[in-house]
Formats: sequence, C-alpha cells, structure tokens
Amino acid sequence: MVRDKSLTARHVGGVYWRALVAQIRAITEYPADFWVMASAGAMWNVLQFAFITVLFAAVPDVAGWRYHEMLMLSGLFTVASGSTALLVDGVWSTGQMVLKGEIDYRMTRPAPVVVQVATTHIGMQGFGESGIGLLMFAYGWIGAGLSLAALPIGLLGLVCAIVIECALITVFCAVNFWIKGPMSNFAFVLVDLQSNAMVLPLGLFPIGVRIVTLFVIPVAFVNFVPVAVLTGHLSAWWLVGTPLAALAAVLAAVGVFRLGLRSYDSAGH
Amino acid sequence: MPILEARSLSKTFRRPDKASGFKGAVKHLAQRKYKNYTAVDGIDLSIEAGESVAYVGPNGAGKSTTVKLLTGILKPSEGTVRVMGRDPHVERIANAHDIGVLFGQRTQLWWDLPVEESLKLLKHMYGVSDADYKRRLAMFDDLLDLGEFMPALARTLSLGQRMRADLACALIHDPKMVYLDEPTIGLDISVKDRLRAFLRELVDNGTTLLLTSHDLADIEEVCERIVVIDKGTIAYDGPITQLKAHYITTKAVNLYLEGPADVPALAEKFPDYAWAAGEAPSEVTVTYETSRFSTAGVLGSLTAQLAPRDLSLSEPSIEDVIRRLYAGELTK
Repeated sequence: MVRDKSLTARHVGGVYWRALVAQIRAITEYPADFWVMASAGAMWNVLQFAFITVLFAAVPDVAGWRYHEMLMLSGLFTVASGSTALLVDGVWSTGQMVLKGEIDYRMTRPAPVVVQVATTHIGMQGFGESGIGLLMFAYGWIGAGLSLAALPIGLLGLVCAIVIECALITVFCAVNFWIKGPMSNFAFVLVDLQSNAMVLPLGLFPIGVRIVTLFVIPVAFVNFVPVAVLTGHLSAWWLVGTPLAALAAVLAAVGVFRLGLRSYDSAGH
Repeated sequence: MPILEARSLSKTFRRPDKASGFKGAVKHLAQRKYKNYTAVDGIDLSIEAGESVAYVGPNGAGKSTTVKLLTGILKPSEGTVRVMGRDPHVERIANAHDIGVLFGQRTQLWWDLPVEESLKLLKHMYGVSDADYKRRLAMFDDLLDLGEFMPALARTLSLGQRMRADLACALIHDPKMVYLDEPTIGLDISVKDRLRAFLRELVDNGTTLLLTSHDLADIEEVCERIVVIDKGTIAYDGPITQLKAHYITTKAVNLYLEGPADVPALAEKFPDYAWAAGEAPSEVTVTYETSRFSTAGVLGSLTAQLAPRDLSLSEPSIEDVIRRLYAGELTK
C-alpha cells in the first residue's frame, strides 16, 4: 500500500465530512430524539423572536437599532450558535475525553485530533436553532429593506460568523486539557454572555468591552460587525476584519488544541 | 536496524498530594501540593522487524504507560523513542500510518454506527485503496468471522464481537508495527482461541507485535520473546524458551500409591529428591532437579521400587516463573 503520509486539506476535509455524514446517519437511529431536540432548539429561539417583537412594540429603537435590524443581529448569532451544534458539537466533550483517556485512539490515527473530537457527535437541537435563526435573519433582512445586491456581504458574514463561533467554542472547550473537569464551563460562559449581551448593539457597552469583543475575543465579528455593515451602522471597511477574525480564531483553535495535546497525559497510569 | 527503539525511556506524572475527605480537599485548594509518580523508569527496549514480544507485569507496573509512550500518545519525561526512525509523538501523523493499536479496555468503534461504517471511516482516514480494503476485510472475515456482525451497531455487540471488530479496526491499514494492550480481556475461551490463532497468523505474515496481557496463555501461544516489567523497570528481557530453561529447573512427579504414603520413609529411601504429601493419603509429590536427573531415570526407579497405581508429570508453568519474578524471588 502506497500512502501519502502527510496531511492535506483535501484529506482533512474528507475525514471531517465523512465523519459528519456518518453522525447524521447515526441520528436516524433515534428519530424521536431528533424531533424532540430539534423542536427544543427551535422553541427557545422562537421565544427570543417573540421577546424582541414584544420589546419593539413598546420602544421604537435600542441605541439607534430598529426592530428588523435587531432581528438580524439576534438571528445571525442564533445561526452561528446553532451551527456549532451541527458542525463541532464533539468539542463540548473534550473535558470528558481528557478525563477518561478517550483521546488515546484519536492520537494514533492519521487525522487531526481536533477534527476527530469535533465530529464525535451532532447536537440535534442545532437543526431547530439554525432554522429559526435563519428565519429571523431573513425576516429582518426583508423588513430592514436590504436588497439582493447585499447578498454576497450577507453570505460572507454568515460563513465567517459560523467559522468564528465554531473556532471560539473549540478554544474555550480546549481549556479542559489543563483545567480538568467534565464540563466545558468556559465555553458555556462564552455562549451565555453572547446570547445575553451580543444580541444587543455594541454601542451600549463601555469602550473596554468593545475593544475586548472586537480584538481579544472577537465575538463582535460573529454578528454585530456584519449586521452593522449591512444596515449602515458601520462603514464597509469593517467587513475586512470579519474574515481576518475568522482566520485568527481558527488558528487560535488549532494552536490551543495542539498545545493541549502536548500536555495530555491520558488516564490509567 | 530495529523497528522500535526506546532508550532510557521515563515517564513521570504529577499527582495532587492531598489529605482525604472534605477538609483535605479544602486545604488543597489553598495550599496546593503535588507528588511526582514515576510510571516508567529508564526503560531500554529494542524490537526487530517481525518479532513478537510479550510485555508483561503486575497491575501498575507501567505496561500501558509504556505502550502510550511507544505509540506517541504520551510525551516522554526523559529518554527517546524511535519507531521506524521517527519520534512517534512529534511525527504523529506519519507514525500513525505504520502502527496499529488496540486497547482492550476501550473501543475505537463509533458507538452508534454499524461496524462496517466505522471500518469505512478508518479506511478513508488511512487512505486504504478499495482493493486493499476488500482484501483485508475478506481476511478478517475468514479469520475473525466479522461478516456476521458487520451491519450491527457497535453498541449492540457482545464483548467478543466488539474485540474482534476492534482488532479489524487496528489492522485495516496493514500496519507494520502492532501494539495490543490486553486484547483478550474478558473474553471466553473460544473467542480467545480464535484471537490467538489470528495473532499467530499475523506474526507468521511478518507483522511486528508488542502484546501486553495478564493471560499468559496469550503470551506462550503468540510470542517468542518476553519482557517483564515491574515498578517501571525491566525485570527480564529475553526469549520465552530461555526464561523457561533458566528458571524452570525442577520437575515434579505425582504418585498415587496403593496404600497410604509414608513421606518421611520415602524421603529417607530417596534422599536426592524432595518429597511432599499430596491431597489424598495415598498421594505424594516428588520434585527433582532436571540438571541432575533425567525424567526417564526418575520415573524408572520410582515405578520399579514403589509400583504406583498411577502417576502424572508436571513442571512449573511460565505463570509460576513470572509470579516469582514479580515477587522478587528470581533475579535477572
């Protein structure tokens, strides 16, 4: 057997895609679970949709942002967050895998460990979450009067939002290589802060928070920057930062995971 | 050039040093103390291509840690490992193509997928061609009877089926060096026999094998060389036949006499042998040194002078020898 012993992007992509497709096939083993989880993911975000609608029945805008713009802001974050459950849900189990020594086999296979961990399972709530998020984003888009000409920017923002969110969750879950525990508490805190604070206009927050969310932990590029550019709250130049933030987040995720593997000491010595 | 070479290999883990109970836990939060625990302590190991090596030792001796160091899962605290000239921890991807690993206590099957899906995922991961994949599967089916449970979900397999499937996963890419950590743990006799036959076939085909097992029958049937590890250091390294020849220096004959055995009288009559009473009054065990007496000579004189009703011959097993090695009764 002649084999290429280096990793290529095609090989890594193939491993990722096949593992993900296999997980989707596994989901068909539990149809009831699928519908319950997908509905739960959808319900939670329908409530968010309703909350924004009720709020804007009472106030005309929040820090200059109108109803449909706020829907886009919330919708884009919801799509990104839901996508992490579909694309990298396995990283939430990093802590458990480290504690139980379940990284062992993954280190003896010719594929990146982070890819193997990320595709360990799929969070079925992600289907409902992403679906409702897309609906909110599309409804906000139409209501805000955006034309189809802005679609390429919207798609770039959407793709980058998903990449940044997946990468940041991976970084925060990889903390469990050092802080031993089964729960990915840091990632939970990140998502919690995002779902509470980052669905609001960034102008509401002090300058320190703005700097951190733009340049340290670039969560502002997940939803705020793309939507602000689309709706004219920020100049188009800010859009350049979105793919850069995505690239930085991916490099950070790969780097932190690699560092984690160096300190991994398995289980059962 | 050896296929695997470890020099002065050591692994030290840092463990929290805290008192038991709630008070100890709280104290540890404020005043953190750690102790170093050396699991593997300066091991030198060299394995030539095609060798089948048993790596044995009592619980906690450092067997699994050594396997994890050799496979690149763990980074050594000191010393070096080279597998086919590579550092397995640094050149993890290239090394992964050439090694196969099985940890008997864990599975590498995807839990909610059929076995064949797991194998297909691994096929793609290792870049195995369709023709090679089919050929390997046919071989596994022939030797391990995989076909019967290939469509079954991993979580529905019995332990024996799971182990056979895991073995196929470890070998699907035709690795040159195979590490098997307790491959027969928890299996019944028939599955064990089938696995051992498969491993013998593997070794006969030239695969290099490092096998850790507490079941010494695995070792005697599959391996030619044995490395005994205790407290992180190697207590013995050599051919199994040599271990037996070196340490098995006595044999015993169990005699079943017509009447009750008078052990002191017999010891007086045959002072060159060691005598011990058996379980029944008419049973007696005679132990003799193989370097001084031939078995034929001993049996001839005993049957001629004592006319036993029946007799049986026994020799210490490899298990006895290793038990004594663990206990420190024997030295290298």
